[in-house]
Amino acid sequence: MDLSSIFNVGTLLNTFNTATIVILAGLGCLMTAQAGMMNIGIDGMMTAGAFAAAVGSWYFGSWGMGLVCALLAGLIFGLFYGVMVIRYKSDEFIIGVALNIFAVALTTFILRTVLKQSGSFHPASGAVNTLPYFSLGEIGGTAVNISVMVPLSWLLVALCAVMLYRTPAGFWLRAAGEHPDSLRSAGRNPEKMKYVGALSCGLLCGLSGAYLSLGYLSTFTENMSAERGYVAVACVIFGRSHPVFVFLAALLFGFIDAAGMRMQGLVDPTLTATFPYVGTILMMVFLALRQQAKKKAKA
Amino acid sequence: MNRERRKYFLSLAVSILLGLLIGALIMLATGHSPLEGYGALLSGAFGSRRGWGNTLYKTFQLCITGLATAIASSAGIFNVGGEGQMYLGALASSYLGARLAGVSPWIALPVCFLAAILSGALYAWIPAVLKVKLKINEVITTILMNSIAIFFCSYMANGPLKTLERGVNSGTDAIDKAFRFTRLIPGSNLSETVFYIAAISLFVWYLMSRTATGYEMRLTGQNERFSRFIGLKAGALGIGGMLISGAMCGALGMFECFALQNRFKPDFSSEFYFDGMLVAMIMRYKPLGIILMSFFFGALKMGAISMQSSTGISSELILIIQSVIIFLMAAEEGFLRRLQERRLHRQSIVKEG
Repeated sequence: MDLSSIFNVGTLLNTFNTATIVILAGLGCLMTAQAGMMNIGIDGMMTAGAFAAAVGSWYFGSWGMGLVCALLAGLIFGLFYGVMVIRYKSDEFIIGVALNIFAVALTTFILRTVLKQSGSFHPASGAVNTLPYFSLGEIGGTAVNISVMVPLSWLLVALCAVMLYRTPAGFWLRAAGEHPDSLRSAGRNPEKMKYVGALSCGLLCGLSGAYLSLGYLSTFTENMSAERGYVAVACVIFGRSHPVFVFLAALLFGFIDAAGMRMQGLVDPTLTATFPYVGTILMMVFLALRQQAKKKAKA
Repeated sequence: MNRERRKYFLSLAVSILLGLLIGALIMLATGHSPLEGYGALLSGAFGSRRGWGNTLYKTFQLCITGLATAIASSAGIFNVGGEGQMYLGALASSYLGARLAGVSPWIALPVCFLAAILSGALYAWIPAVLKVKLKINEVITTILMNSIAIFFCSYMANGPLKTLERGVNSGTDAIDKAFRFTRLIPGSNLSETVFYIAAISLFVWYLMSRTATGYEMRLTGQNERFSRFIGLKAGALGIGGMLISGAMCGALGMFECFALQNRFKPDFSSEFYFDGMLVAMIMRYKPLGIILMSFFFGALKMGAISMQSSTGISSELILIIQSVIIFLMAAEEGFLRRLQERRLHRQSIVKEG
């Protein structure tokens, strides 16, 4: 086996392309995690964002409006999650799982009943305008493009890290998760900060969805997040909710995915499709084992 | 009936009615008549012998998947991975069902059944152990393991185990005719398997609500530290719940293939497990409630399929209605508490004034 067929520039680019989905969703998830909520529902928020982006981009004829629609959809879902979990104190896991099922059902329903299409969105007239991209010329005979969302996601990692660890707002957000009562006695409303977490989660997941349907692929397909939202949650756990570590975990996921795709000549593609999921679970096992060993060493 | 239970039934009824109302509003918003839509749904579910048969089969299917969710959840582990466990059970039993051709059904069928429940249980054991020993969140592992199992099984059915039979695009060799279950209503999905499903469901209901083990499981699910404190083996109870849950899903996988598909096909299920999981979530994992409400949701589900073909309203509407019901039920307690707080607040103002 020739290793250069797996470790080459193409794989690197694929790594970044795939990781961006998980980076953006992971940032969203960690904003809620830092505020003390475990959001399993980001998969659904991504699906909603992807749908709104594709349909908005087609309806208004511009990718900018598609992006706005995706952000709006994310915001609505984030607000809904916030109201259910913060205001009505519902079980986070039930709401999250139900939210994911709801989002897939709603988008599929609208696609089939209103837009009269099934499987994926291919409008009869007009087109889905995708996000702008940078052309990196040709590598190995194929044109290589990188969506603007890829570098933007890195920028957002830095922004989130600075916001969480270098600004008062970030400090309050983290306090709302760890010591809500201390925050309250310091004169800040922890519930308000939790809402900030839920809403920014919605925005970031909407962005991730927009990248999914307007950057990574060029239209919406049913159930298109393909459980990557759950992978993002796993990355947040693995990266202990720190933006930079979550970013690295997402890159690792992206690499496993990209390397799996490269191995399709050697292994059946249906089998390589399982690699990123197996990799994610192994990542979590590895982290848990290490934490347990540390605890034992301390004791 | 005590007060707690009456309150629960009331909120369930209100949630379901609101869910159906929202469904009607969605139909109106998309330019369809709700009367026509729900009418098509009802006539699809009960309008013919075939419709009745399909509705009844769906009821049993929801029963076994709902109880599978419930037994694991009652012991504190949320099994979202039943779909994968079902796929593995289906593949293992169908493979044996083809390989054991010619053997007496009295030997072959139990062997196939054992293979189905063992592969389902084993696949559920992995996330259960990860949860109990390493505290790894089971929702994430089980859902990712669904994708792994489905990809793996379709790889097997299109690759190493693909049948050479003509006209079969993807699937394993046909299961021996002697092993197949006969249909009770020709043309519908209702087959002999419902007796086995009923037996399994009764067993699980009995285990959950009439035995000490079931009670201990519930204690563990409600408060793990407390159950450890009083000397229960919390970990073993959780893993046990998951093993039974996985075994049930594996068994359903076998029933689907042995009664309806006649071989393992990668598309034999359209997220059957999630349908049952939703019912279990709506009924808050109460076994009797799941058994009773399976009929209602089974009729909704099967009726929706003919509603889709006759009116063009996508059957996904039912999933929307179900998730809305779950949202309402989940928020109900918090919502009522806030109402009460507000009432008390107002009363205190009146008194002071």
